Amino acid sequence: MTRYTMVIDLGRCVGCSACQIACKLENTVGEDSFLSYHEVVTTGEFPQVSYKYIPTMCNHCADAPCVAACPVGALYKRDGLTLHDPERCIGCGACVAACPYGMVTLRDAAGYAAFDATSAIIPGGTATGREVAQASGALVPYGNHGAQTALTYAEEHKAQKCCFCIHRVEKGEAPYCAEMCAAGARLWGDADDPESDVAKALAAGAVEVSHPDYGTRPSVSYVGTFGR
Amino acid sequence: MRPTDQPIDRRSFLRIGAAAGAAAVLAAQPLTAFADEPADPGAVEAPDDKAASAGKWVMSSCQGCTSNCAVRVRVEHGRAVKVEGNPNAKGNHGCVCPNAMLALQQLYDPDRVKYPMRRTNPEKGRGIDPGFVPISWDEALGEIADKMLELRNAGEAYKLAMAKGRSTGIADVFHKALPEIYGSPNRFSHAAICAEAEKLATGALCGYWDYHDYDLLHAKYLILWGTDPISSNRQISNAISQFGKMRANAKVIVVDPRLSATAAKADKWLPIIPGTDGALASAIAHVILAEGLWNREFVGDFTDGTNYFAYGKPLDESLWQQYGKYRGGNQVYPGGPSSGDEYWFDEKKTYGICRWWNLELHDKTPEWAAEICGIDADDIYQIARDFATQKAKAVSWISPGVTMTPRGGYTGMACFALNGLAGSYETEGGILRSPSAPTGHLADLYAYKDSKAKKALKKPKADQRQYFEFVSIEKAQASHNQNTNRIADAILAEEPYGLKMMIAYWNNWVFSCTGTARWEEALAKLPYLVHITTNPSEMSQFADIVLPAKHHMFEAWGFVKNKMNLYAYLSVEQPCVETLFEARNDETEIAWDLAQKLAEKGWPNLADYYRIECRDPYTGNQPTNAEEFGESVVKIFTQPAWDPAFAAGGDDLKKWADFLKNGVWNSDRMTYKKHYSDFGTKTGKFEFYSETLKEVLQGHVDRYKRSVNELMEACNYQARDGRAFVPHYEEPYRNGDPDEFPLIFSEHRSRLNREGRSANTTWYQDFKDADPGDEPWDDVLKVNPRDMAALGLADGDEVDVVSPTGSIRVRARAWEGTRPGVVVKCYGQGHWAYGHVAAADYERAIPRGGNNNDLLVAEWEHLSSSTARHGGNTRVRVERVRSAGGAGGGQTEGEVR
Repeated sequence: MTRYTMVIDLGRCVGCSACQIACKLENTVGEDSFLSYHEVVTTGEFPQVSYKYIPTMCNHCADAPCVAACPVGALYKRDGLTLHDPERCIGCGACVAACPYGMVTLRDAAGYAAFDATSAIIPGGTATGREVAQASGALVPYGNHGAQTALTYAEEHKAQKCCFCIHRVEKGEAPYCAEMCAAGARLWGDADDPESDVAKALAAGAVEVSHPDYGTRPSVSYVGTFGR
Repeated sequence: MRPTDQPIDRRSFLRIGAAAGAAAVLAAQPLTAFADEPADPGAVEAPDDKAASAGKWVMSSCQGCTSNCAVRVRVEHGRAVKVEGNPNAKGNHGCVCPNAMLALQQLYDPDRVKYPMRRTNPEKGRGIDPGFVPISWDEALGEIADKMLELRNAGEAYKLAMAKGRSTGIADVFHKALPEIYGSPNRFSHAAICAEAEKLATGALCGYWDYHDYDLLHAKYLILWGTDPISSNRQISNAISQFGKMRANAKVIVVDPRLSATAAKADKWLPIIPGTDGALASAIAHVILAEGLWNREFVGDFTDGTNYFAYGKPLDESLWQQYGKYRGGNQVYPGGPSSGDEYWFDEKKTYGICRWWNLELHDKTPEWAAEICGIDADDIYQIARDFATQKAKAVSWISPGVTMTPRGGYTGMACFALNGLAGSYETEGGILRSPSAPTGHLADLYAYKDSKAKKALKKPKADQRQYFEFVSIEKAQASHNQNTNRIADAILAEEPYGLKMMIAYWNNWVFSCTGTARWEEALAKLPYLVHITTNPSEMSQFADIVLPAKHHMFEAWGFVKNKMNLYAYLSVEQPCVETLFEARNDETEIAWDLAQKLAEKGWPNLADYYRIECRDPYTGNQPTNAEEFGESVVKIFTQPAWDPAFAAGGDDLKKWADFLKNGVWNSDRMTYKKHYSDFGTKTGKFEFYSETLKEVLQGHVDRYKRSVNELMEACNYQARDGRAFVPHYEEPYRNGDPDEFPLIFSEHRSRLNREGRSANTTWYQDFKDADPGDEPWDDVLKVNPRDMAALGLADGDEVDVVSPTGSIRVRARAWEGTRPGVVVKCYGQGHWAYGHVAAADYERAIPRGGNNNDLLVAEWEHLSSSTARHGGNTRVRVERVRSAGGAGGGQTEGEVR
């Protein structure tokens, strides 16, 4: 069995947001939309202040409520991942309502409107979004057109969530957030392979998951502490 | 304002979800269709080229900050779609920070300037529409050439200034060759608004007038003085990737008025009162000496083994007068509590420890410093003891935060001197210089200068760097360094003379220099400004001609140089995508094309120089066009790295093509103790009493027939006599009456700033809260909750921040990571131009947030002529405009401005 999982080492994480920018880039995520998130928490009183940055995303739960809620089987489990098939998706939003973490959203075409804009701040002198898109030959010039997610830029109200860059995973690569984490804070691999980095990190002790009380058995785990 | 993501808050999330998708502006298009079946045939290229669709990696460099990381760019279908670290690089070893990815949004920024533009409204000022109209390159260059020749023929060639912001390793070919051959001594860079005072502070003590590197993986203890290396400074990618190991191995102490990202992850945060770092450093040094904890191998010892510093008093000056000479090859000093006996300090690799003690340290106790710095004396004792007892594996890492302040030269020296006491200079786990990274240079210009040029070049430089009160030290030479921020005053006062024309590229000084109001006035007065830029920035608004610039990472020839992880490197920049409109590269294409235009109009010298002297070093062929010229010049400047004949060591590259393919040349790893026999100071030692600085200052005052004490006075320093030559504490200098302006303003850098050029990218705005305490799509003033309560403010209230020199309107954010009495704001937002994301309303010149430089009073660190923006040099008051709930506050809008 393969059971892909991610372990985030908060001790190594520097809170720089590279993971989220990489995510937006790799998955051509529209403006105001995210497939990964973070929380920042400042606690204590000056001068005894503690700050934490916690990257979050779909927890790829073993008992995924979104999978259970989907009336058409568009969400499904495979190799430990919770995946989404946009061909089947009818955009009903049941998964959005079901996910206790709020990690599933509905795709919003407005997120790509910037590259369809036709007004220039200096008419004739500066470009417009549409001109850039047309001259570059792509609606989002830096978009990842090779992503085999079969997602669409603009299909209104289809669900979207982190798929751990399944198009990369299928090629034996790590999700792009892990690839672009310069701090090496994102361990990726098969939890069922005892030799993998993730299995070792999970075995080493003190592992946390987000909201175990939800009872969904998340497969994204956290080790280490961000700050003091 | 954009919605903030709050994934855990279910209700908040549902609200965003329900609001989404109000309008479907685009037809549904599968992603893959963009490669295969164009929905809009006019918009999408045909996918007939298999190799192109497979994509390729092209090596380049990131100039988002001075880390200058070697990168590789993924190009698919002629588009740049990814930026990653170059795996061949030993400095950033395949890593990049988030800034590198932001470059993609800069490249495809919809607000980029497409064509050259000419101003039609002669009136210039903030908020005044320049009335730009597009013109052809031929027209634009023709007009610029006419203006240049007009000046030259009038005998005023020296009234042209070249000004650069971001530049590459080949900058001289444009920024130097053009004005020198043309006949202007005025070529300015943004160096003095960056970190030049840091170079002064290190050079004065250790003879290396440059930024240092740090052995992060072997250090056991680090004191970071305003340094936030996982967000800014000069090796971000390396610091991020090594931070985990470093933290496991070492104690990390961060001295910073605000809780920076690094402070959040440090073992200890010392929230110092801005500008008082010198007191803390002197107290640490005092404890190290008084408790006898200094490194004996590096510093030496009293010959009888007794620690005479332990008495906490100055050593005997009378014996000093009598015997303070050389003995046995070592600098020695007599001293001791009783003048009847002789005690000698046998100094090894350092010089002047006893004089430093007498002139500064003997009474600088932690109790004394605690009052000044707002740091517990117990903490100071502990840090001094821990720092000094790591067997030289201890780093005192200085930054602009402590040096780019009105009195930061000596503050930087005080902090940097601790490396001398710990003996960690050039040691394993310590602080290191860069290995050499040899580069080529411009061929001699002399033969191309005519009599007009030679005459004009004798004029003084227009930035007042040669004035008495601006020592402008660069690499131990006075009157040498840039005085970037003084140019505005020089233009306004016409002192030493009025500039008439400026050709500026990739700079935005009316936004990035403190005291912006002066710059607005100066640029409105400057008769003719050419601005070469990617975006219509604030500076462009004052331009007569705007020229669209290519992006260095993706579209142009160049190279960069830096060091980190104990390696020096050169990294190439090469065009990997076609520019979408008509941008040209400043240092190669515009240089070449302007030279051709000048030749066409009867002055061929620059064109001749480019053609004859910038031949391809391989083939010897003269360049025939701008593209060949660009490649030739990069070859010339990087040849020592890739041509085996130069035997530069490091990577074994055989030819130019190897360099392009590898993308980077890495030096050999830096060796420890490399300069132990001679550090390059006047004495060859690590100078706690700087004979090196003394010589420079004495030479400077001699030229003006004045004294060092007069110089100190003119430079706004408190030191007199011998204290001018030792690291010491100077009281912070603050503008503004404390009664009228009760809060100290402190600013910092964003980890997404790309040198202040990324605010028009949506990802910068989306992730602005990666800067601790900040908020997405906003520009908040971070205020301690106790101060918020005292001011009657609620979180999110709109406020005016008013300084003696200006005011900005932003939201106040209650944050515990801010010291009470100090308000903190990140630099980078507050653009009133640049683009539709950076500015809240470009057409109406309404900024998103507020520019710190509107508030900061123009001040200098006068020894280096650096712009002093840190250290709390400006006081402010905060006035509520509108409460967070939207109801009016104590004052109505408009009243307070």
